Amino acid sequence: MSLLIKDESPEKLIGEDGKRLDGRDLNELRSIKMEVGVIPNADGSAYIEWGGNKIYAAVYGPREVHPRHDARPDRGILRTFYRMTTYSVSERKRPAPGRREKEISLVIKNAIEPVLFLELYPDSAVEVYIEVISADGGTRCACTTVAILALVDAGIPMRGLITAVAAGKVDGKLIIDCSGDEDKSGEADLPCAITWYNNQISLLQFDGIMDLEEFDRSLDLIMEALEKIHKLQEEALKKRYIDVRNNLKNYKPEVVPTSNIEEKIDLNNQKNQNGGDQTE
Amino acid sequence: MEIEDIEEIDNVQMKDKEIVIPGEVLSEDLTNFTPGRGTTKQGKKIISLFVGLKVIRKNYINVIPLRGIYTPTEGDKVIGVIIDKNPVKWTLDINARNCGILKPSNTVERTQKFKKGKPDRVRETTEKFNVGDVLIVKITQADRLHRPELTTQGKYLGKRNSGKLIEIPPPKIPRIIGRKGSMINLLKNMTNCNIFVTQNGRIWIQGDNFEHEMLLIDTIHKIETEAHTSGLTDRIKEFIINEKIKRGIN
Repeated sequence: MSLLIKDESPEKLIGEDGKRLDGRDLNELRSIKMEVGVIPNADGSAYIEWGGNKIYAAVYGPREVHPRHDARPDRGILRTFYRMTTYSVSERKRPAPGRREKEISLVIKNAIEPVLFLELYPDSAVEVYIEVISADGGTRCACTTVAILALVDAGIPMRGLITAVAAGKVDGKLIIDCSGDEDKSGEADLPCAITWYNNQISLLQFDGIMDLEEFDRSLDLIMEALEKIHKLQEEALKKRYIDVRNNLKNYKPEVVPTSNIEEKIDLNNQKNQNGGDQTE
Repeated sequence: MEIEDIEEIDNVQMKDKEIVIPGEVLSEDLTNFTPGRGTTKQGKKIISLFVGLKVIRKNYINVIPLRGIYTPTEGDKVIGVIIDKNPVKWTLDINARNCGILKPSNTVERTQKFKKGKPDRVRETTEKFNVGDVLIVKITQADRLHRPELTTQGKYLGKRNSGKLIEIPPPKIPRIIGRKGSMINLLKNMTNCNIFVTQNGRIWIQGDNFEHEMLLIDTIHKIETEAHTSGLTDRIKEFIINEKIKRGIN
């Protein structure tokens, strides 16, 4: 018996009780989980689980640019690589980067660039690798949200964070945070990212049909949702360091006999007086 | 992190330092406060540029970063790994933005002949070191636009044939050294290991035996994770004593 996974969208996306397919309200976000510092070999990294999306981001650099002719003598460059794994969607995705990947890499790069101080790193490149392990609608927003966390973790100076979320229109009603099905068969899709240091929009794409009044209302919905996600981003960044402190408060040292060892530790008779850092 | 910063973090009587993230408003009072290291002025606010610890000293607001890269500075001693060589130079990975350049003339002692402008041509080859060698080098010249120039002439510099090399984030290196070298002396005395700490985040260690080296590596990683907490030196001392008994070593 062959295994067939049907990739069909239901006709009605909003039920009679006014809830969406996954039981959410119209202005309710999917569950979001973020973590920082997940890839030890990268300079900075982050992971996000946003509904069915599972995305890793890794940052390398600032480092030398290859090929060298891409380097700019007055400022550094930001390179973003958005890739989807072959198993991230229901039908196998071809691994070669296509038109869609190149576009999303570009919009993420353009969204992030205004918050970075790239002029501090002339002749070098900061590279962000974003790998989508599982995709379920709204990956470009999730990728922007997680890429900035990885950049913060890499210690790259920046003016502030960026957060992104998508609004949409389904069955004539405005919704926030479209899932995969709502993305495909909905009437409109509006991904949006803002930079928090000046509250300006740095990513806005639009696909579908919506009148101007609905557009304004969607932006209001987006702003409301972005503030919730921004708080989660802050928590994820601080959690790594606060957890260590909290664990230490509960830490109680084991009581061990120390008489033999303590005699050997005589810090007053130090042989090295070279300032400590460069001694042998 | 500077010595004064370590004193502030280590002070047990004071409260834990607040952890800030980029874009977080540190102060809106521009008459009494001036933006210091790791901060910038944005409109009428002082904001942080890094994820780090907020420290106020006099009227300066500073942020001590917890993550970041190493910026080469003239006179620093760093540990490099040779990644490439050609007949005129070696290229070293020094864990910075650019690779370092080591020329053969900087690996031999400057003789009288050399000073007169006649370098010793016989020694001017790159056969001395190979790709993969670990060298302790000094940076003789560094700026934003050029690759740093290195030398192996000086005290403690040169190739390392044995020992282990470990890496931690460069901003946490001052915690390994401690206030006036207190932490590094503690580590040396308690584990009987030779340690060479460099500002680019690399640490070279060599001990009498494998067990002591492993204990030292575990201790350094503990310091790395707890770099932003207070009372670290005492806790590390306790940790080593406990671990020695657990592992059955002296």
